[in-house]
Amino acid sequence: MKTPSLKISVFATFMTVFRKELRDFARDRRTFLMALLLGPLVYPLLMLGMGKLMEARVSTQLEKPLEIPIIGAAYAPNLVAWLETQDIRAKPAPKDLVAAIRNQDEDVALVIAPNFGEEWRAGRPAKVEVVADTTRSNADVPIERLRGALNAYSGQVGALRLVARGVNPALTQSVAVTQRDVATPEAKQGRLMSIILPLILVLFAFMGGANLTMDVTAGERERQSLEPLLATPVSRGVLVSGKMAAAGLIGIASVILTLLSFKLSAAMSTSAMASSLDVSFPAIGRMLLVLAPLVLIGTALLTFISAGSKSMKEAQSHMVWLMFMPMLPGYALMAYPLKDQDLWQYAVPFLSQNQMLVKASRGENASPEQWAIYLVCAIALAAALWLAAIWRYRQEKLAISS
Amino acid sequence: MIDVQNLHKSFKTKTGLVQAVRGVSFTAHDGEITGLLGPNGAGKTTTLRMLYTLMSPDQGTVSVDGIDIQKDATAVRQRLGVLPDARGVYKRLSARENIAYFGELHGLDAATIASRTAKLAETLGMEDFLDRRTEGFSQGQRTKTAIARALIHDPKNVILDEPTNGLDVMTTRGLRNFLLQLRAEGRCVIFSSHIMQEVAALCDRIVVIAGGEVKAIGTPDELRARAGEENLEDAFVQLIGSDEGLHA
Repeated sequence: MKTPSLKISVFATFMTVFRKELRDFARDRRTFLMALLLGPLVYPLLMLGMGKLMEARVSTQLEKPLEIPIIGAAYAPNLVAWLETQDIRAKPAPKDLVAAIRNQDEDVALVIAPNFGEEWRAGRPAKVEVVADTTRSNADVPIERLRGALNAYSGQVGALRLVARGVNPALTQSVAVTQRDVATPEAKQGRLMSIILPLILVLFAFMGGANLTMDVTAGERERQSLEPLLATPVSRGVLVSGKMAAAGLIGIASVILTLLSFKLSAAMSTSAMASSLDVSFPAIGRMLLVLAPLVLIGTALLTFISAGSKSMKEAQSHMVWLMFMPMLPGYALMAYPLKDQDLWQYAVPFLSQNQMLVKASRGENASPEQWAIYLVCAIALAAALWLAAIWRYRQEKLAISS
Repeated sequence: MIDVQNLHKSFKTKTGLVQAVRGVSFTAHDGEITGLLGPNGAGKTTTLRMLYTLMSPDQGTVSVDGIDIQKDATAVRQRLGVLPDARGVYKRLSARENIAYFGELHGLDAATIASRTAKLAETLGMEDFLDRRTEGFSQGQRTKTAIARALIHDPKNVILDEPTNGLDVMTTRGLRNFLLQLRAEGRCVIFSSHIMQEVAALCDRIVVIAGGEVKAIGTPDELRARAGEENLEDAFVQLIGSDEGLHA
């Protein structure tokens, strides 16, 4: 028997805990691969899949001849004939047109008033009615096509009438409004990705290591191995830190793999959407720098929650609201779009990551002040949660498993 | 040596404050086995948890080899080998890896861990499952692994909470011999039990606990004399006032 008086090195103990948790987790093959590879596999599928779907939609709806029900086609044979030249063809109208459109049997229909011919000859605006349900976004393209064709017809005939009366048609246009869109084509095409890309990256960074994080605290307590562990001379702070570092490493590894697969799938994808994203190594590096603090925040928050849960099940019950948190800024921004200049945005968790990632994927770089505020706030939050987790580990009731 | 003075501990529950331990005092000497005997719910586990610094007492002091647990908990933990009530092992690690992990946490080097593991495996009879992953271990194999990892750092003081719980007869016999060996090596051994026969057969000194209080302390002979009973088991029942929660 020895009388122990040796001071145990804090770093050596930290590494012992860290290595043990990694080894333990790596031996749980399925969970390990799931945690590491789910993000990297989902990403290309999503990107390639969405690109394909969008291309398919455009080519079918934009270029295919459009067949629409026209009521009263006989009142305006010229208009119908003109529409036909625009690849918009008439077909017999169903009995209940409104019901057919509500049921999505038809996307859009045209109703021509019985007095169309009379008004036309009198030189008064002849009435046609476009019937559609604007809340159905799959009808957007057909509606636009029909409306565009009708406007073109109206403009053309109107101009001809003026010319016939010896008037310059340009007289009717007092102001010539043109629009110059300064958005780069890349940014335009990246709009959809600007919602989806940050959300998925943030979600994987925040929750990627969730399983391991919960397992090393709540799971360890449930399996009754926490009490013996806490009876060793290791300080609680070192113990939590070692466990968190192991979970954090898995989280960071998963984020790196996800970013690499993002780069790879953007290179593979032929769609304009994917090729518009900035996937150069500097951009990927910036995204990693944005996401790394979030991995720490997620790991620390989950450790804090797990240390207050009696079982794995109880800890997992928190997943629902945790998953929801990264989505909140996305929804909030849809309802209330914000300019991304104000500095306060870079201090708000999840909103800040969202804004930073959007910038990175648009090929822009955040200003030094924005970076500074983002990193200081995110790392401060992670540190506060880490301290809170250590505080919970010091609670007496943590050790008691039953 | 472990010295316990006037320990108190209470818990808040939904039904109010429960006083789990009320003024427990005793001394456990080196080279002796001290048994804590009492029915289930007597406060044995709570008392032991305060000894191994997992809980801090509301009142009272504990010193291990003269070190106050509230002043230097780390030094106390280095001197203690603990088999808690909870004895889960890491099922994806082998028994040897489980033991080595605790050895490293105690700051031991690889060579020391290897030689101590070999010695403990021989004494506890765990050579044939030492390198197997602990998933699917029997209760006895798990307990042996838990004991080996608790003693890897060669502690002077050993605390075991109901060590024979759930073990079969052969394993229990082996474990009793192991405790006697620890005593022969001059260690201070404390274990708790609700099995009267076990305490009677092993202990040099018995602390009878019921309702969070010490009902009697002494050698088996002293307890017999005090209760006025020839049979030690009758003496226990008499001292506690009931045989509820005890096991012959």
